Amino acid sequence: MRRNPLTLVIGILLIIIFGLWLFVFQVRTTEVAVVTTFGNPTRPITEPGAYFKWPWPIQKVWPFDKRVQNFEDKLTERQTRDNFTLLMAVYVGWKITDPAAFFPKFISSDDPIKEAERQLDRLLGNAKAAAIGRHSLSDFVSAAGGGTNFVAIENEILSTLQSQVRSNNYGLEIEFVGVKRLQLPQNVSQSVFDRMTEERKRLAEQLQNEGDAEAQNIRSEANRKAQEVLATARGKATEIKGKALAEATASLSVFKQNPELAIFLLRLNALEGSLKDRSILVFDQNMPPFDLLRGSATNWPAK
Amino acid sequence: MERSIQKNGLINLLALLAVGVAGFAAARFSNSLAGLVAAVFMGLGILVCAVSWFQMRLEERERLEKLELEELARTHSGAALFEAQDAEVFPAQRSREQFERFLVPVFTVILFLLEAGGAALLGRWLSRPTTAAEVKDPVSGLALFGLFALVLFLLGRFSATIARLENRRLLRPGASYLLANAFLSVVVMLGLVGVWAGFTKADLYIACVFTGLLALIAVETLLQLLLDLYRPRVKGKLERPLYESRLIGLLGQPEGLITTAAQALDYQFGFKVSETWFYRFFEKALGWLILLQLAVLLLSTCVVFIEAGEQGLLEHWGKPVASRSPLGPGAHFKWPWPIDRVYRVPTEQIQTFDVGFTPEAGQERAVAMLWTVAHMKEENDFLVANRAESTLVATNQTAEKRTPPVSLLNVSVPVSFQITNLVDWEYNNEDAKSLLHDLATRAVVQYLASADMNEIMSHTRLEMAQVLSDQIQAAADQHRMGAKVVSIDLEDLHPPVKVAGEYEKVVAAIQIKEAKILAAKGDAFRTNTLAGAQAVTIVNDAIVESTARKIDALAQAALFTNQIPAFEAAPSVFAERAKMDMLVRGTVNARKYVLLTTNTHDVLQFDLQESIAQSMLSLNVTSPPPKSSP
Repeated sequence: MRRNPLTLVIGILLIIIFGLWLFVFQVRTTEVAVVTTFGNPTRPITEPGAYFKWPWPIQKVWPFDKRVQNFEDKLTERQTRDNFTLLMAVYVGWKITDPAAFFPKFISSDDPIKEAERQLDRLLGNAKAAAIGRHSLSDFVSAAGGGTNFVAIENEILSTLQSQVRSNNYGLEIEFVGVKRLQLPQNVSQSVFDRMTEERKRLAEQLQNEGDAEAQNIRSEANRKAQEVLATARGKATEIKGKALAEATASLSVFKQNPELAIFLLRLNALEGSLKDRSILVFDQNMPPFDLLRGSATNWPAK
Repeated sequence: MERSIQKNGLINLLALLAVGVAGFAAARFSNSLAGLVAAVFMGLGILVCAVSWFQMRLEERERLEKLELEELARTHSGAALFEAQDAEVFPAQRSREQFERFLVPVFTVILFLLEAGGAALLGRWLSRPTTAAEVKDPVSGLALFGLFALVLFLLGRFSATIARLENRRLLRPGASYLLANAFLSVVVMLGLVGVWAGFTKADLYIACVFTGLLALIAVETLLQLLLDLYRPRVKGKLERPLYESRLIGLLGQPEGLITTAAQALDYQFGFKVSETWFYRFFEKALGWLILLQLAVLLLSTCVVFIEAGEQGLLEHWGKPVASRSPLGPGAHFKWPWPIDRVYRVPTEQIQTFDVGFTPEAGQERAVAMLWTVAHMKEENDFLVANRAESTLVATNQTAEKRTPPVSLLNVSVPVSFQITNLVDWEYNNEDAKSLLHDLATRAVVQYLASADMNEIMSHTRLEMAQVLSDQIQAAADQHRMGAKVVSIDLEDLHPPVKVAGEYEKVVAAIQIKEAKILAAKGDAFRTNTLAGAQAVTIVNDAIVESTARKIDALAQAALFTNQIPAFEAAPSVFAERAKMDMLVRGTVNARKYVLLTTNTHDVLQFDLQESIAQSMLSLNVTSPPPKSSP
């Protein structure tokens, strides 16, 4: 049977490709790796490059990302030194520093990185509780004085976590810790909402009252000024009238020439003035000039 | 030779059994859905191989039986042996016939049920969102399925060639399944390569295609069963096994398709197109052409084009090539994949993330952003200090069950950034964007916790944006992220929706206060203006009165001076005349009654009441219309 060269080439190529896949592996610059031989970690690799290995199931490569991993823990409720409760979540930066130490502790899981983060989450719970318990609420939330004390709190959590990780030799290092979320429990939040509502109501009422008071002040001031202006005007009018009276009095000396006539004329003028409007006068026939009517027809009833 | 064919069938069966078990284990190990569906095909292949091998054995027994009988016939001519019935004389033949008549259709029905049921169950299983798990260790999966493909291809190709050359039809179904499973294994490998390259759904999509193929094969099997009922039976003619799938055969041996296409071309053009030099060359060189195509594909990985606004990181066997990093926009040569790899990142692009809220995916921003309406999917309540309350609590530390001296605030802070150092961005942190988001959130939380709410919402807003920008940039530099904060936009800063209404009422109260003050100022202006006018009137009236008084006094004096000579000339006449003149003038409007009666003993009564006006007497008052009776 004649061999088909194409089949041969394909076969050789497939063998080369599968051979490379089975015997060669790469470690990226962002990775570290552990090679296990029949399950035993035999070769930690920290430098990037291409490496040989025996095919599975003799040897197996476990690559891990050596860059700084960042994870956020759960939002947990803790009590402050002054008996307030706070919900706090932090983010933690960590990286694998010793793959040989890291591998056996977390490899039982499907995802060793996630398993390591679960372990860190447990350690973090204690570190966080301790740090929160040492501080009062004003260290977390305060506009007075020097403000909050975030950096000190974060450093306390970081140092506690670092010492726990080092003492257990997890093969990893904690790089940083930061507060990501800070909240109040739901019922406390509700009481804060209630207080904020009342505060706003009080402020709205205060503003309205201030408006009323200020308006009243303005009106009162205006009235005062108006009365002052009117009083001044009245005074000036009186003064003017007084001067006029004084000037008019100067002409009274004329009446001294015949005081009897002057008084008669004054009385006559006064009488005329008093009869001008809505007067009812009843005269009899003796009153001049009605005496001219005496003897005329009267109002006898008709017979 | 015949014995070796039977052995070949057994080898096919055992090989498919081994590869099927290993394939299932490999698929489970790597969480490959396509691998698991391919394992179902392998299982069906095992059944087909087992049945065809059994049928092969029956045919072999029949052939030996015939040979034996021919030998006996030669040695015992005319014996009564041949007078017996066929069933007694040819038990092997009878067995084979019974097998083909009853067991093959029953097996084909079972095969159809397995194919149809398998397709339905797999379809339902794959449609569940929880089914698609993350593929683990795709490289190992690739190696294993490559090995399976190689083994199945070599065995299948060998069996298919023997089946064609020696016209062994029962070897063909098994060979077809071996080749088809080799092909499916290669497709599973492609799916794993896709997952490895970042197309995480590739494996799922291939599993769905495989399931569709299984359904098609089930339909084909059903059609074969139905057509078999009406197929004419010709004695002695070798028939195609009922359970043999043409689709599987086509999948494993696509050259059959080429032959069919050549025949169709011959028929269409009216001459032997398949015998032209071009067609023959194409048929002969097709495999090499495909190989050439693959070689070109591999060589094309030696050139990488970095788009405008991007930068690339070149790695040689996983090590960064420092002398050539980062690669700028343009064409760059490199060793073929997988020796050299380039990771491209959009560095010029302004990227954005949101702090304080989670925007609704695909939702347009609202035209009006109201405090009282939640306009984001999720708005976080940030703790904000309250300067007045802090002082209050500081003086009352022992009080129990206090409301914390804080307020709550919703903020929306889109942060824009740009990658400035690709090496730092890519190599220092596993998820740099997520870390930058955390750093920004921390800066916002810390700033708000140490600032007064009323100040933030009013005059320190701009200052806050600047401080946050500086703090986030400092944190990014400290963590060597290689990113520049371009802008911090305090897009929204408002009290939570639950209390926003009360805050708006305060704003309304401020306006009401201002309105009241303005109204009072208006009234004041009016009062003062009118008072001024009234004052002027009073003064003017006084001036007028004074002037009149003075003029009148002078006039009276002048009149009196002239009246004196008149009076002195006739005092009584003057006096009487003056009185009469006064009476006439002064009583013009007075009501006058003159009593001329002489009866002085009568009592006169005058009714001096005001008389009713005539218009009142003529007033027409209309009475309301009478109510209509029901």
